[in-house]
Amino acid sequence: MSGRGDAGHPLRLGAAVRADAGDPGALTRLAAVAEAGGLDVLAVDGGAGGGEGLDAWTALGWVAGVTQRITLVAEGLGVAAPPAVLARAVASLDLLTGGRTELALTRAADGGAGGATDALAEAVAVVRGMWTPGRSPLVAAGPAHPVPGAARGPAPAHDVPVWVVGADDDAVDLAARTADGWWLDLRATGDALADVGRRQERLDAAAARHGRAPGELRRVLTLAGAAGAPTVEEVVRLVVDDGVDTVLLATDDAAALHRWATETAPAVRSAVAATRAARGTPPATTRSARVRSARRAGIAYDTVPAGIETVEPGDTRYPSMRSNYLRSGRPGLVLLPRDTAQVAAALTWARTQPVPLAVRSGGHGISGRSTNDGGIVLDLRRLDGIEVLDAATRRVRIGAGARWGAVAEALQPHGWALTSGDYGGVGVGGLATAGGLGFLAREHGLTIDHVRAAEVVLADGSVVRADAEHHPELFWGLRGAGGNLGIVTSFEFEVDEVGDVGFAQLSFAVDDVAGYLHDFGALVEAAPRDVTPFLIVGAPRDGQVVAHVLAVVDSDVPETIVERLQPFAMLAPLVQQAVHVLPYTGVVRRTADVHAGHGEPVSRSSLVDHVTPALAEDLERLVRSGAVHFFQIRSAGGAVNDVPADATAYAHRSAGFSLVAMGAERDRVDRLWDALGHHWTGLYGSFDSDPRPERVEDAFPPATLARLLALKERYDPDDVFRQNLPVTSTLRREPRADRPLLTP
Amino acid sequence: MADHGHDLLLGSFITPTNGDPQAPVRLAVASEAAGLDLVTFQDHPYQPAFLDTWTLMSYAAARTERIRLAGNVLNLPLRPPAVLARAAASLDRLSGGRVELGLGAGAFWDAIEAMGGRRLTPGQAVTALSEAIDVIRGVWDDTTRQPLRAGGTYHAVHGAKRGPAPAHPMEIWLGAYKPRMLALTGEKADGWLPSLSYLGSPQDMVDANARIDDAALAAGRRPADVRRLLNVGGTFSDRSSGLLQGPVTQWVEQLGELVLEHGFSAFVLAGDDERALRLFGGEVGPALRELVAAHRGTPGAGA
Repeated sequence: MSGRGDAGHPLRLGAAVRADAGDPGALTRLAAVAEAGGLDVLAVDGGAGGGEGLDAWTALGWVAGVTQRITLVAEGLGVAAPPAVLARAVASLDLLTGGRTELALTRAADGGAGGATDALAEAVAVVRGMWTPGRSPLVAAGPAHPVPGAARGPAPAHDVPVWVVGADDDAVDLAARTADGWWLDLRATGDALADVGRRQERLDAAAARHGRAPGELRRVLTLAGAAGAPTVEEVVRLVVDDGVDTVLLATDDAAALHRWATETAPAVRSAVAATRAARGTPPATTRSARVRSARRAGIAYDTVPAGIETVEPGDTRYPSMRSNYLRSGRPGLVLLPRDTAQVAAALTWARTQPVPLAVRSGGHGISGRSTNDGGIVLDLRRLDGIEVLDAATRRVRIGAGARWGAVAEALQPHGWALTSGDYGGVGVGGLATAGGLGFLAREHGLTIDHVRAAEVVLADGSVVRADAEHHPELFWGLRGAGGNLGIVTSFEFEVDEVGDVGFAQLSFAVDDVAGYLHDFGALVEAAPRDVTPFLIVGAPRDGQVVAHVLAVVDSDVPETIVERLQPFAMLAPLVQQAVHVLPYTGVVRRTADVHAGHGEPVSRSSLVDHVTPALAEDLERLVRSGAVHFFQIRSAGGAVNDVPADATAYAHRSAGFSLVAMGAERDRVDRLWDALGHHWTGLYGSFDSDPRPERVEDAFPPATLARLLALKERYDPDDVFRQNLPVTSTLRREPRADRPLLTP
Repeated sequence: MADHGHDLLLGSFITPTNGDPQAPVRLAVASEAAGLDLVTFQDHPYQPAFLDTWTLMSYAAARTERIRLAGNVLNLPLRPPAVLARAAASLDRLSGGRVELGLGAGAFWDAIEAMGGRRLTPGQAVTALSEAIDVIRGVWDDTTRQPLRAGGTYHAVHGAKRGPAPAHPMEIWLGAYKPRMLALTGEKADGWLPSLSYLGSPQDMVDANARIDDAALAAGRRPADVRRLLNVGGTFSDRSSGLLQGPVTQWVEQLGELVLEHGFSAFVLAGDDERALRLFGGEVGPALRELVAAHRGTPGAGA
């Protein structure tokens, strides 16, 4: 017994099965036994190629389709196709399986040993490069696998470990140099169990030559099951003395596999846990030196509370998580808590780190600083549950990390919908704490008007339920200024009965822009509440302004839909029109966006009661200036105006319209927008990217602001939540001449 | 041009996008539920927004029970033929004989080369495909234990082990348009799989079919040994506005003409639209089979 040591990697037990061409059904049966028996890993191999064995990668893809939970790996794939293609194949299976795929490579059988090893090292570099999305193409010089300039991506669903299989010196050296772990197959070496420790010591020595700690390399071992299954004690020694963390039993015998999974494996797990506890074996650092070298200063990465999933700058998934919809980010750490308790633990830990903190639900916010540079992002995407609490009252609990497209899909079978913006990729948490100006706004109000209760993690890590009876003042503030007060982890909404709706997309060539905008506003105000139109104007092309009206009519009766739309269709010459009767899921659709925003958006918001002739004249000048490439008017009246101004922290209950202008040059857009300030009655915080503290006062009128500041004192005295429209910023500046002095 | 009398196949032509990785799988399952015979997948291995087509096919095969699967068409320059032969035979065995092999010579050479593939001229690519077919059929032939020697300039195999063989006589279908590719199709392939939108005029269709027939006869085969498949696009609507733009009855009539006048016996619908697939499998398919059977005088005679 070598006693070389246990690095504390999570123990995994699995099976290695051969994909037999003579009995292809056996693979499916063995996979089912392994999964049902609770094994962690299933390795598939196809033999030496040709003849009796099936192609291992194809067999693995098949097994992926017939399993749900078990981690899958094809043992010892060769690099027979260009490695860039192999990278996409592995990433694809990882995406299809939701992160259940690993990659174990073996050196080509022919060719000089040294040359084949170098070729495999090249292949590993190409594969990893392909998995790392980026704008710059992947270039590899060769000589074995030259890649002149391949487009990168897709990234796999998780950080796919790369194993090198092989016991000779070159393979061991290659594993130590490039791999996440080394794979020893005792069927190939003919070693006894007693030899395993010495084999691992050779890997340790090779790791040291390449400047890597032995504990950084994980170790897979395939045991020949044909010689009789190993005893519990033998397997435990492999783990706690020889440092193997993944033990696979090779067998084609379903009964032997079942015994291994249901008798040996549980006993091994408890014995290893007991030994580790008795010896005080610390859990392994799971990140490789390569990943750790990309860490940012100021974050004590190794102190993240156990069990919370993390993504770091060196991780494969990082590029898909660093940025938001419209804003690039470079956070030092993304935390992915999976429940409220983990959110509380993550927040409490994050507060001990001297770096910025951002909270993110969907990452779609225009104002929302839900990513950062060098800080921590607390990402709520795992809290995406949608659950009907009471069908009679249409009470639904929705996690803050769900997206509105998924919400629409979940509610649609009940004949329900919840007004929620205009895009299915937006997250629930950010929108339902700010307002929620959606396609059913005129009929059903804001999204926040449907919130009946919220579960909130407060700055001190405590969890409270806020509703009309519990923490009522907090409940008031969460609906409009939630980002200042805590992290809402789930909402209880009362949703509406909504069947199929009419959805119109009308495009107009507009010459008299001022007249058109004024008439549009007047028509909206005169229209029944079952119609909610939004208007979008792009930058003029060759002087021609094209406007698009998107409108939802809450009716599935074609005559009613046409009647509601007719006045709008007469506004100007139509250049394009499409009207469909759709479920709400066809309006707010499920998306699979991966955010890759870059730069900083320039977006300004305002709320106005009416589109007056004077405002319309000024807006025409704005549109024709060329400084604004996207100008939008959303309906914000109707049922929204039924709610008293002091009922929620969204106080603009007289406003009939939300206006947004987006451009490329901040100074120019600000200058034009600020000059129209006399028209505004307020702004909608989620649509404004201006960092000046005046915007906070535009979003929250004096009485609202005073109440919010009082709430801050009670619930967030240390101002932990100061990323989005921070109400405390108003305390740190000179009072404006046009505003009364605030005395919180 | 004659109807070759093959049983009719209707299929779907799916874009393997990876934004929602399960979306193409759902379309495959929906194709089966719609009663289609065949689900096919585009293959552009240089496209980062797509799933790897072979991996997706392996997974989708496990998620379906009855429907046949094929690449439409697989990119040979980035998929070495000996590996592809074993992969295809393996999936055919795993799926109970539901896989056919759609192959293309390669088209987007800049992208192929950028991934590490070898750039060939169009002429070289046809030769390479011809060699690849020999390699693939050689790998599949496990009736002899003699090591495989096949190929030549672009795909040389010197003494490879043979097998596994597919579970059923797997068909090789070629995406072909130009004269040399059409000749190769007639000489060596089991099927011709072009897209209607690339075929041009009806006369082009007649000419291409004739080239295949001539090459088949020259190689000592029957024209009917080469099934004619066709990728089509279209929309279902109440009013007719062109080829395969209109009601089901119009689709049946127009596809029937392609069967009876131009010898096509398989239609693969693009568009990734579940509703259209349901109409295609549920309404067009039965009516088209009825119409063709009536003209042939026998219900669904095989080739």
